[in-house]
Amino acid sequence: MSALLEVEDVVRTFGAVRAVDGATFAVEEHSITGLIGPNGAGKSTLFATIAGSLKPTSGRIVFAGTRIDGRPAHRVARAGVVRTYQAARVLTRMSVLENLLLATRAHPGEQLTGVLFRPRAARAHEQRGLERAQELLALVGLESYIHEYAGTLSGGQRKLLDLARVLMVEPTLVLLDEPMAGVAPTLRVQLLEHILAVRRDRGLTFLIVEHDLDFVMQAADRVVVMNQGRVLTAGTPDEVRANDQVVDAYLGTTR
Amino acid sequence: MSVLFSGGFWAFVCVVAGIYTILALGLQVQFGFAGLLNFGQVGFMAIGAYTMAILVVKEGWSTWLAAPLAIAAAAAGGLLLGLPTLRLRADYFAIVTIAFSEIIRYVATNDTSLTGGSQGTIALGAVGTASEYNSGWSSFQTHVGHALGISTGDTTMLVIVWVVAIILLTLSWFALRTPWGRVLRAIRDDEDAAASLGKNVFAYKLQALALGAALAGIAGLFYAWEFSFFSPDDFQPLLTFFAWMILLLGGLGRVWSVPVGALVFGFIFAGTRFLNFPPFTWVASDERAYIRLIIIGLIIIVLVVLRPQGLLGKRREMVLE
Amino acid sequence: MFLQLVANGLVTGSVYAIAAVGVSLVYGLLRLVNFAYGDFMAFGAFVAFAVNGPLHQSMIVAALAGMAATAALSLVLDVVLWKPMRVRRAGFMSLFLASIGLALVLRQSLLLAAGSAPRSYTVNPYRVFVLGSVRLSDAQVIAIATAAVTIVLVGLFLALTTWGRVLRAMADDRALAAVAGIDVAGATRMAWLISGLLAGLAGVLAAMVEYSFDPNFGFQLLLPVFAAVVLGGIGSAYGALLGGLALGLAQEVSTWSGFAGGVNPVYKPVVAFGVLAVALLIRPQGFFGQARAG
Repeated sequence: MSALLEVEDVVRTFGAVRAVDGATFAVEEHSITGLIGPNGAGKSTLFATIAGSLKPTSGRIVFAGTRIDGRPAHRVARAGVVRTYQAARVLTRMSVLENLLLATRAHPGEQLTGVLFRPRAARAHEQRGLERAQELLALVGLESYIHEYAGTLSGGQRKLLDLARVLMVEPTLVLLDEPMAGVAPTLRVQLLEHILAVRRDRGLTFLIVEHDLDFVMQAADRVVVMNQGRVLTAGTPDEVRANDQVVDAYLGTTR
Repeated sequence: MSVLFSGGFWAFVCVVAGIYTILALGLQVQFGFAGLLNFGQVGFMAIGAYTMAILVVKEGWSTWLAAPLAIAAAAAGGLLLGLPTLRLRADYFAIVTIAFSEIIRYVATNDTSLTGGSQGTIALGAVGTASEYNSGWSSFQTHVGHALGISTGDTTMLVIVWVVAIILLTLSWFALRTPWGRVLRAIRDDEDAAASLGKNVFAYKLQALALGAALAGIAGLFYAWEFSFFSPDDFQPLLTFFAWMILLLGGLGRVWSVPVGALVFGFIFAGTRFLNFPPFTWVASDERAYIRLIIIGLIIIVLVVLRPQGLLGKRREMVLE
Repeated sequence: MFLQLVANGLVTGSVYAIAAVGVSLVYGLLRLVNFAYGDFMAFGAFVAFAVNGPLHQSMIVAALAGMAATAALSLVLDVVLWKPMRVRRAGFMSLFLASIGLALVLRQSLLLAAGSAPRSYTVNPYRVFVLGSVRLSDAQVIAIATAAVTIVLVGLFLALTTWGRVLRAMADDRALAAVAGIDVAGATRMAWLISGLLAGLAGVLAAMVEYSFDPNFGFQLLLPVFAAVVLGGIGSAYGALLGGLALGLAQEVSTWSGFAGGVNPVYKPVVAFGVLAVALLIRPQGFFGQARAG
């Protein structure tokens, strides 16, 4: 059985710099996979390449059996791969509700042709979106903010909104870019529980870049370690923790 | 001073304000809705006006066939401009759009066989004849006037232009409230975030550009009918800047502030004619035209510096940055 | 014939190049696309005219006066308009719109003061230099010579002097340069000063070459100059120089009959934009530009 996401020998250069230098790994369906490595290991670049904001210089990225490398970001998103950003990228000048409503897929009302020729389908879709948005906001505890401008939310609240938004899309694979960055400890526990619950209840797959190693060890089924643009090793959290090479990479011990 | 109280003059001012409302509404769709820095709006106006005039005079089409085609031509101009340029960074796009409208004006000035050249629409037809494209519209206008019991042409025109303007404003207002409009606003807010939500940013921008261009084309038609004659010099970048000023006056991003801005602008512009008191009377009257434009330039600067959200906008929704 | 067109192209191109560097320096430092730049050039040209005509001074004195006046105008405007906007953290759009308002005010003021009648400098329109198959007028020779010297001086300034390096560093990465302790206010004044001097010079040279000019001619120059700036990559002074020369040459040379009859000379400005459009399709950030507005 092939994995949900297969990254094969992906290279991404910026001029003379090889930010990603031949990375290969796989992400199994329904798993929570952690992607860790020291700063500059190429994790964010690799993320951007998978999500479609960057094109790989060479290599293949296969999602659910189809190649997605080189596809533009919006087409990758439509295929079912959704990413978040380190600083939760909400639309600050739109309301929390609108942020969520925008996340639905294949909304007839979002096309001019749909507005003109399929008004009923558009309205039905909008109604369903409204209901799901309310449900998800209740899930993450933001119901009272539903009509507030997203720009008024605090950093931690924006992360929750981001998570709700990701769920609105009903994706298959979720790429989380440092979800714990800048989040207060109490909120971290909450976020972790949300992620685990969502994986359990909705069967989503997660690939998470994270520096908070405690979180990764707790949450992930599998961990992939990158260093200098390449995959150093992969395995369960315990295996990785015990691996000398990984320790060296983080501590920078030279051999 | 008697002109100040002449109804006909103010009717004329309102007609022009109505035309500018439609032009600026197009710009609002492009910038206020989708965040596009279009500084070539007057070029689409020219395409609308010239297409109609050429079809009526040279091809003998009826006004009612030529007009929709002229609007379509303006929209097509928007597509043509947008396809290669919408992916450019914002400041390059702004510069390229000015170049676009200047090229249109340039071609209109020099391609005499197509457009009548710098002499304008009078020279559209055969050499030695003074051509007119206006007869179809004039008779329509007279009919409407009779039906409504209005005696003056200007007042009838005023009614027609503003009825059309209000219809277009209403349609735009509704469009903005649809999910489609929501995507546009999201693009204006943060286009990368919108793309990561699966929206085809380029396609939406193209639609906004084309629709805004179509509106400019409609403005061009009314301009042509109101003045019954025009030349390439009528479509200078100055008109685009007036449209921007109207957006600044009324507030960016809000449909119903466009007519407010247009009326304020119209009255400022017309009102500066009546500077019939010292120190303005020290200056010759054609030089007063320069002073008017200086005043307009100063108002633009003051608005941009002190009140970028416009007269009616809310600071929070300020869209300039 | 071809060589003549190349020579003409170098004349036009060097005027564009000088003006384009002025625009680029200000953009690089302040992220300001100065739409009023064309009118700065016209201003310089007219001050020079006032000195050359009614005051009977030589062209050199007149040109220097024009440059000084434009530089002064530039600096005054920074204090009166641009600095208050910086304090209010105005973004690109606001600055651009303000510069449009400024352009209106400047040009109409110039029209008010000088009227719309065309003027000419008192240079000899009949003296011609002949170099092989190329004939150049007095004005063209002066323009090329001055421009060449200026371009070299500007290039040296940017490459070798402290201020030059400061300006380039700030264009590259403003935040970093500010943190590195660079005198931002001083650099700003320097940029406006140089930009003003170049605008004045470009205006005088363009007016000389065109022979007769009126207050509206600044705007006609503005678009090819902007095109040159974009072609070279906005913010890069070297790019602006190259872009200006390239566009000037392309414009003139395109009318050569060897190119399938050549472009109708009336459409020369359209050629400039055509070149820009094609270049941007291939390289959207221009020769030396950055892909995103940094």
